[in-house]
Amino acid sequence: MVIEIKERDGGMTAILNGRLDTPAAVKAQQEIGPLLENADKEIIFDCANLEYISSSGLRLFLTIRKEASVKGGKIIIENINDEIRKVFMMTGFFNLFEIRNA
Amino acid sequence: MARLRQSLTLPNDINTIPQLSEFIEGICEELNLDMSTTMNLNLALEEAVVNVMEYAYPTDVQGDVTINAIANDTHLVFIIIDSGIPFDPTKKEEVDTTLSAEERPIGGLGIHLVRELMDSVDYEYRDCKNILTLSKNI
Repeated sequence: MVIEIKERDGGMTAILNGRLDTPAAVKAQQEIGPLLENADKEIIFDCANLEYISSSGLRLFLTIRKEASVKGGKIIIENINDEIRKVFMMTGFFNLFEIRNA
Repeated sequence: MARLRQSLTLPNDINTIPQLSEFIEGICEELNLDMSTTMNLNLALEEAVVNVMEYAYPTDVQGDVTINAIANDTHLVFIIIDSGIPFDPTKKEEVDTTLSAEERPIGGLGIHLVRELMDSVDYEYRDCKNILTLSKNI
């Protein structure tokens, strides 16, 4: 499973694993309901085990980010690897999220 | 002289993308390319091929996309061919990466990544085929 969603105090944590390529992102799209519903809270994406992302994966992040700005929540992206960091830079996504190392 | 010549044909089904990724990784291994270049090529090719799979053929029409890879000592070239609707992705308007999250449109990132990751991107329509040529200096 590429996305694992957990509730925690004050918000939600989504753990991403492996390759978030187009087919994986299409599947994950159907699983992000709980994140969209809780987009008024703090959502942490733990990306320590995320190996790869394509534009369909980026679109998932953007969909949740847009929902958070409507509902007043916050999105934090943790522990992305250097290659994924470059993809975030290339697409301007770096400026759209709070990105940090835990 | 060509150092490598390989070809892969996939149906217009995004679930076959892992086969594309295996194909690219095999080529990069054979050419001894580093991990970062391998990931960049993987990403560029996924974006270009998914674009064909999603848009070249009408919904419910089966069609193929062929990826030919040719390398010499200085360049690795991928030629992506489909028989779908004529579409030139190089004509697509550049996305504005400086927009805020609220203003950012949800699409258009794929071709932007292809442009960023490859050294040249050329399109032609010939013999009823879309031919997209992506080149990387190696």
